[in-house]
Amino acid sequence: MNEWRDFVSGRWNDTIDVRDFIQKNITPYNGDESFLEGPTERTKRLWDRVQGLMKAEAEAGGVLDVATNRVSSVLTYAPGYINKEDELIYGLQTEKPLCRAVNPFAGFRNAEQACIAYGYDIGDDVRREFSYRTTHNTGVFRAYTATMKKARHAGILTGLPDAYARGRLIGDYRRVALYGMDRLIAQKKADCAEIGIRDMSDENIRLLEDIGRQFEFMADLVKMAQQYGCDITRPAQNAREAVQWLYFAYLGGQKEQNGAANSIGRITSFIDIYIQRDLREGTLDEAGAQELIDDLVIKLRLIRHLRTPEYNDLFAGDPVWVTCSEGGMSEDGRPLLTKSSFRMLNTLRNLGPSAEPNITVLWSQALPDGFKRFCARISIETDSIQYENDDVMRPIYGDDYAIACCVSAMKIGKQMQFFGARCNLAKVLLMALNGGCDEQYGEQIGPEGKVFEEGVPLDFEEVKDALCRYMEWMAKLYVNTMNLIHFMHDKYAYERLIMSLHDSEPERLMAFGISGLSVLADSLSAIKYAKVIPIKGENGLIVDFRTEGEFPKYGNDDDRADDIARWIVERFYSELIKTPAYRNAKHTLSVLTITSNVVYGRKTGNTPDGRRAGEPFAPGANPMHGRDSEGALASLNSVAKLCYDCCRDGISNTFSITPDTLGHDTEDQVGNLTSVIDGYFAQSAQHLNVNVLDREKLVAAMNDPNLYPNLTIRVSGYAVNFNKLSKDKQLEVIARTFHERM
Amino acid sequence: MRVHSLESLAALDGKGLRYGVFLAGCGLRCVYCHNPDTWSADAGTDMSPAELLSKIVRYKPYFRTDGGVTFSGGEPLLQADELCKLAELLKTEGIGYAVDTSGAVGLTDSVKRLLCGAQSVICDLKFPDAESFGRYTCGDFALVEGFLAFLSENDIPTWLRTVIVPGINDTEEWMERYAKTAKRLIPNAERYELLGFHTMGFFKYERLGIENPLASVRSLDKERLTELQSYINTLLK
Repeated sequence: MNEWRDFVSGRWNDTIDVRDFIQKNITPYNGDESFLEGPTERTKRLWDRVQGLMKAEAEAGGVLDVATNRVSSVLTYAPGYINKEDELIYGLQTEKPLCRAVNPFAGFRNAEQACIAYGYDIGDDVRREFSYRTTHNTGVFRAYTATMKKARHAGILTGLPDAYARGRLIGDYRRVALYGMDRLIAQKKADCAEIGIRDMSDENIRLLEDIGRQFEFMADLVKMAQQYGCDITRPAQNAREAVQWLYFAYLGGQKEQNGAANSIGRITSFIDIYIQRDLREGTLDEAGAQELIDDLVIKLRLIRHLRTPEYNDLFAGDPVWVTCSEGGMSEDGRPLLTKSSFRMLNTLRNLGPSAEPNITVLWSQALPDGFKRFCARISIETDSIQYENDDVMRPIYGDDYAIACCVSAMKIGKQMQFFGARCNLAKVLLMALNGGCDEQYGEQIGPEGKVFEEGVPLDFEEVKDALCRYMEWMAKLYVNTMNLIHFMHDKYAYERLIMSLHDSEPERLMAFGISGLSVLADSLSAIKYAKVIPIKGENGLIVDFRTEGEFPKYGNDDDRADDIARWIVERFYSELIKTPAYRNAKHTLSVLTITSNVVYGRKTGNTPDGRRAGEPFAPGANPMHGRDSEGALASLNSVAKLCYDCCRDGISNTFSITPDTLGHDTEDQVGNLTSVIDGYFAQSAQHLNVNVLDREKLVAAMNDPNLYPNLTIRVSGYAVNFNKLSKDKQLEVIARTFHERM
Repeated sequence: MRVHSLESLAALDGKGLRYGVFLAGCGLRCVYCHNPDTWSADAGTDMSPAELLSKIVRYKPYFRTDGGVTFSGGEPLLQADELCKLAELLKTEGIGYAVDTSGAVGLTDSVKRLLCGAQSVICDLKFPDAESFGRYTCGDFALVEGFLAFLSENDIPTWLRTVIVPGINDTEEWMERYAKTAKRLIPNAERYELLGFHTMGFFKYERLGIENPLASVRSLDKERLTELQSYINTLLK
């Protein structure tokens, strides 16, 4: 086949196997960044225009325009362009850049309120259509039990994907470029035939219907590409087509689905194979190669979804998590690193710092030094990169996995995830002390138990027993709530296009999460090593604590506290796996809060560690702000002790340091940051967000947003434009520990 | 040994990533000191060399070849005997150390041994001659001269440092005096780093109830610091 000319053939020719294609054809690059090119005039013109639109969007209060009269889908909108003559890669979500689509499949009320929040009315046609339709949200609330509703209301379970789409999926968008849609459709037909001869169990019927729904959208994607003048029924013939085909597939998914964090996967080394061939054939030069990646990134920076203010409260800064995984090692010891990995990082220079795409470096001790140093340098310049430990993930997921959202690893096209928000464990402790009552509303939520006595110091073993009982109850409720939610999501808001770019029978993961880890660890440490005396309120419930004496705190590399944190995570995971998950999914757990640590804190009363009611939690697995008194590396060492084996959905840690603390000059800073990441990951830690900046800069930006319009900061598994955060979130970010030297 | 505090990331006190061990006790009483909380030899906690070692080894993954521990303070060399024991233990673990000192200490056997085994020595040259040294500190400049000469003779990698205080030593003329002393005593120093005086330590004086002799002095302007740094660099070329 002409499209595959000059490629080394292998198993990938006969079966859908992108990994095999990459393994056979990749050109690993071990050098440094000196070959890179700046932006072309064309790129600059296009990017200028987009920046103008983004400025207008910010001035309009965050939303530039909403296409209120149509329901978003793959073929709803005519082709849209930024400025066609200047674009190398085509495709927008709607007909105009930054105009947001209305997507009510997960919840009509949600879509309606999102429109209202920005001064729009949902169109009559849309309203009429959805008056005859059941959304995911309606389905879930039909079935929710009274206890599930109570747990949700009290804020023990928060952020559940019951009114918005679940997301966290990565289609293998590369398949469209490598094989073309005809071949992919043929494969799905063959899968149907194979499943069709089995007994028609619930699961097999569901599978057949899933694939039936996938066909419809695969056909739609072909038509969508046709409207842009491209024939994606066949494989891509060159680098520009490879990028275009891949992007069409991703874009189609974004038109169909507005789920949080539908990430793009691991694409640059795949694209690089096409770029290498074009370079060999003399049809592309380095400036042209960079231009392609720059143009793709411009498109990815334009992805938007329409969200409600409540949603923004949980996931602040309008993120979409176009997470793009770079680097990593091959199972045979070669770096899966190409010049295009450098080109992707170089977009942060050519186009400036940005939260999207969420560039995630899969870090291995064995990666070449040139790449490590380049990453560190870009981190110092832009605060836009996160790092995840390939050496702990590769043994589990192989060498063709990618990160969805912030820290969730999955095999591309072979695993999918049922996203499950998180459970507030600090609140579970308060509930355990109050015999199953919520400390804020006084409502009985959990099973009735003993209310601990006022004025009597808490006994650690007794508290631990009670906590275990309530964790057990909570875990069961949590799994069952998730089962119900994902049953309904599959039924009413199934991701047809994205799932069509998965194997027909993917492995399913159900991703649970915890928040309040450091608050709970320090609270238990206080009960164990100091004296904690409960104080009751008028309703007879414990509302506060008097803590006497010193206690070790999580974040200082002190095993006494860190072992408690480890225990919490392991214990909760062992409870979760007791309840079977929907569609035989494998339970996973994350310690990740996005920015919901602020909301969770707001909903949680006084805690024994001295945190006051309503104060934010630390984000993710971070130690509580200001309590990590032995400095940055001690704090990292504590987090590194949490066990990835029971937290396979990720352990998020955000690290902020001032440039002057990191080293005398840029070269020292680059070297030292590389050592920090190497040292942290050598201890089997999983994730590190890196910010190298001064707190004063953030304060200045908060007071005058015009000062740093593109100020990007890593918060919790993703980056945000600092100016897009609400004031309380800005204050929380500023209050976080900045490691600095006096 | 008496440890004032620990800092797991002290990237500025020597090469690479460093674990900072701040030892308690210093008698120098520099007029601009921003760590008066480290003066008392009773400040902080008692730790044995073995205890400290068990903490330090936790940071081995970060050190690579050039990083390690930095002994600072206070004046770390006041506890040179105990530090020698720790240095032996560090050697068995393959961890290097640097010493951050005023240099105003006698060259005892322990001090010499410690200096000769160090990856580098950071010597804070407080003032450039006996007259100014006597005016602004309680130390003996002759000790500093002997100390720097020892570092020079034994070719121990050395960084010099000086804090620049507005109204005291923030002039070109002072830079000339510092450069002259540095050239005379330790022409083989690797770098000479100027640090700007800052007011972030003022709260410690208040908390300790010690009178702050520079309470009315402001932080040194960053640009001025850069000017003086490039000036002294040219003088030392």
